[in-house]
Amino acid sequence: MRDRTFAPSRISIYLIVLLIAAAWLTPLVVVVLNSLRTNEEIAQASMIGWPKHWAWSNYATAWSGFCVAETCAGIRPYMLNSAFITIPATIFSTMLGAIAGYAVSLWRFRGDTWIYGIVTLGLFLPQQMRLLPWTIVLRDIGLINTLTGLVLIHTIQGLSFTTLFCRNYYAAVPHELIRAARIDGAGFFRIFWRIILPLSAPILIVTVIWQFTHIWNEFLYGVTFTSGQQQPVTAALIALSAAVADIPQHGVQSAAVIIAALPTLLIYLLGGRYFVRGLTAGAVK
Amino acid sequence: MIDTVSIATRPVRPAIAGALRRLPEYLMIWVPLLLSALHLVSFSLWTIWISFTPSTLVPVSGWVGLRNYTAVAASRNWQIAFDNLLLFGSAFVLLSVVTGLVLAILLDQRIRGENLLRSIFLYPLAVSFVVTGTVWSWLLSPGIGIQKLVHDLGWTSFKFDWLIDRDMAIWTIVIAAIWQSSGFAMALFLAGLRSVDADIIKAAQIDGAGPIRIYRRVILPTLWPITITVIVVQLQFAISAFDLVRALTNGGPGIATQLPALVVYDLMFQRSLLGRGAAAAVLMLLILLAVLLPYAAWRYVQRRRAIHA
Amino acid sequence: MPITTTRRRLLAGSAAALALPAFARAQGAVKPRLTAISQWSAGSDGAAITALGKKFEEKGGVWQHSPVPGFTTEMMNKLRAQIMAGDPPACSQLKGPEIAAWSKIAPTVNLDDLVAAVGYEKVVAPDLARLHKPGGKWIALPLQIYSTNMLFLSKRAMDKAKAGKIPVTWTDFNDLAEKMKAGGVTYPIANGGTRPDDGQKFEAALAGISPASYRAAIMNLDEKALKGPEVGAAFAQVRKIADWMDPNVGAQHFSTNLKRFVDGDMGMMIMGGWAQGVLRNAGFKFDDFIIAPGPSDNTKPVFLLNADAFIFWQRKEPDLQAGQTLMAQLVMDPAIQTMYSQITGSIPVRTDVDLSGEGWSDGQRRTAAALKDAIASNQAVLSLAHNMAQENGMTAAMIDVITEYVKNKTIKPEQAVTRLAEAVEGAR
Repeated sequence: MRDRTFAPSRISIYLIVLLIAAAWLTPLVVVVLNSLRTNEEIAQASMIGWPKHWAWSNYATAWSGFCVAETCAGIRPYMLNSAFITIPATIFSTMLGAIAGYAVSLWRFRGDTWIYGIVTLGLFLPQQMRLLPWTIVLRDIGLINTLTGLVLIHTIQGLSFTTLFCRNYYAAVPHELIRAARIDGAGFFRIFWRIILPLSAPILIVTVIWQFTHIWNEFLYGVTFTSGQQQPVTAALIALSAAVADIPQHGVQSAAVIIAALPTLLIYLLGGRYFVRGLTAGAVK
Repeated sequence: MIDTVSIATRPVRPAIAGALRRLPEYLMIWVPLLLSALHLVSFSLWTIWISFTPSTLVPVSGWVGLRNYTAVAASRNWQIAFDNLLLFGSAFVLLSVVTGLVLAILLDQRIRGENLLRSIFLYPLAVSFVVTGTVWSWLLSPGIGIQKLVHDLGWTSFKFDWLIDRDMAIWTIVIAAIWQSSGFAMALFLAGLRSVDADIIKAAQIDGAGPIRIYRRVILPTLWPITITVIVVQLQFAISAFDLVRALTNGGPGIATQLPALVVYDLMFQRSLLGRGAAAAVLMLLILLAVLLPYAAWRYVQRRRAIHA
Repeated sequence: MPITTTRRRLLAGSAAALALPAFARAQGAVKPRLTAISQWSAGSDGAAITALGKKFEEKGGVWQHSPVPGFTTEMMNKLRAQIMAGDPPACSQLKGPEIAAWSKIAPTVNLDDLVAAVGYEKVVAPDLARLHKPGGKWIALPLQIYSTNMLFLSKRAMDKAKAGKIPVTWTDFNDLAEKMKAGGVTYPIANGGTRPDDGQKFEAALAGISPASYRAAIMNLDEKALKGPEVGAAFAQVRKIADWMDPNVGAQHFSTNLKRFVDGDMGMMIMGGWAQGVLRNAGFKFDDFIIAPGPSDNTKPVFLLNADAFIFWQRKEPDLQAGQTLMAQLVMDPAIQTMYSQITGSIPVRTDVDLSGEGWSDGQRRTAAALKDAIASNQAVLSLAHNMAQENGMTAAMIDVITEYVKNKTIKPEQAVTRLAEAVEGAR
């Protein structure tokens, strides 16, 4: 499509795109502005407004100041907890999903369609429904209140998505390539390592982005299966939103939301280009 | 999502030595997949079992027959949630497909700053549902949000109060959900548009076809498989949009925007009626199956066609 | 086992301890430790629990509090997970009838001796005490009290209405609202629209119209009372309140309206005592508003009780048991209750705490006085909206009807009465 232009309507196209982009940016702008207004100012005026005094201190409070009960260390320690959960879970679910997707698409084995179908259905099983069964499982294997338990949950649940996308991506790899390698005596892992993995950058970026943002933003399991000092960043964010008996701390909350979203936003900004490229390269089949 | 035919040969029944040599690869393939499948199957079966027990605060054994199901089906909450799911599910999926497609086509017009614009449409995906719900509730609450802003600017008859309107509130969830997720649809469609064979388009241009005609006749038909993918992904989004709804309307005004996922969580954990919550969850899974089975059938037909082609 | 150990600890200081020397001495030697779960993490709630933890540490204890930010539901998810894992916290936040419900799924600590030792039962409102001793034994201790039906009046709105008298009955209230409206107050009512907020409007109305009917219908779920004329009248009063509210409020938190309330653009608010702390934290002055007990048609104050509490779970570890004893003693201590309530804006559970001193506001003093009067006239009842009157399942079913009624003006009061009775049946 890149080699065509629509001469007469260029201006209106730009107009429409910019209009939509403005609408898309509105929530971000509102949050950024609120992150620079004091709690009192927001409480006494409205949610949308230009800061009267630039309350840069909101960011300091959000980063290392505000208290979650006894712990007055801001969002910082919780960011670290989230990283400890998110990074391993993203790596494991992506790698295992890539191997599984490779096996299902190029290394067909007995029963693969069935097991693949079931794993894919996992995309549609609501999280809330799995909470209690996970409680029982984590209890039985002794991983309640450990970050390892959360990594395990997110790895296993993440497989649904990563397997689906990797399988669809690898389905486009020419089978002759694999067959030739096998005739040369290369085994399962050798082929994966030498042939498949080097081809996989686009789809791995897609699954990494997807997994990272989902796990980073998860709340329900994060607060149920951790305690006190191990809680993820979403728990600290919720602590800032209105308690019934308190004035909402919208200013600090907005600043914390922005800080907490920085890792995922950065990943999208840096990876956005590859995101589309990865999808173009075959994941959409 | 069309299956390509696998021409890789199935391994011949291996000798024991071969099997041992292959143990690591079997482990690597089977352990994660089996664990994943096992947790899904066993969790579902567990939930089905619980739905027939008198469990309240914690799971207990016992048998109450279909009582949990009849109680859920008779509750106003569930009835409203069910209607809302039909409305929300179809409106959201349809509109996000349209929005995603429009955005993709616009971005595909060789416009300047495409990278920046793409990032703008994609960034909501990076934001958590809770944050999306909260921020949109700020914007959409007429007393503090957009309506108040416009009033303060002088246009006092302006009205945008869907959030507090029982009939329209469900659409605020649609708006927030589209804002958050149609970037993904756009990315998929954009990927699809970029992989359309340039020669076909050239040929159509030589035949004198206009741009709209080219889109309608040549390009869009090739996007059909992507559209199915988008629908599936958005459907998954619609189901998991629980946090978003909770933060945006929490089922209100009144109970006008209840959704099945909300009812499940509410029954299970807020009202401490595990059995009923499980029954609601099973009903929700049945609804899902009703949507997914036709899709699976469609894929099956496609695959057969591909094999026989 | 904890029954005996708590007794042992009590006796440890006395001569009788000689009878159980080894164990008692061993226990006396351990450092008390407390694992606790609560949702109190932010604002004055977080500050208060932190201060309590400091006191615990001052007494030589190890304080291990694990806050679960967010809604009560998430706190309960966490508690359930811990109980299912066989690792309940030594004590956790829980309130109202949920105490009885949860005490059935895991063993709790019998606190009778500790309670008797300080004569606590005599200074706690009877309805409140009952909630914390299901089966006749104290297993939980209330920590602080709020009334959910305090009446907040905007001074500026009162000036606009040229009114000086604080309304006592619902008729006074309605008259004042009309006067405010006529005097240029845009919206006489400043409430928010969350689920508990809607529930509070209803319970304030019904309890104010007839505390006896409230007790029968809401607390005892008496079928006849549920369909009685008082419930219908309460719904009619709720409709009036809803009509005087800014329709744009939707489901917003009440704090959204505070500015307009103080400015006199809105007149009155029926809210829990905590609103006082919120107003203060939002930078408003005590001179801007008046706090009084909610309307009561028999002119004697009606007090809708909302109390936070701790439940104590059985643990085998001697240090945790010692910690539970210390915690129970602290929670019942008037000085601790004073400290806690002065941070959160609530009033102490103990009715014998003197609130005349510094550190207490007029609103708190009036609330405490109202509680005493209400107990004397048997008009201290349990709040529905804040999960004190019924278990959560029943509460939610009833609030469904109430919140739908508030938001949907086409529902008639009579219809609401029928729906409420049906909802109760469905949730039984």
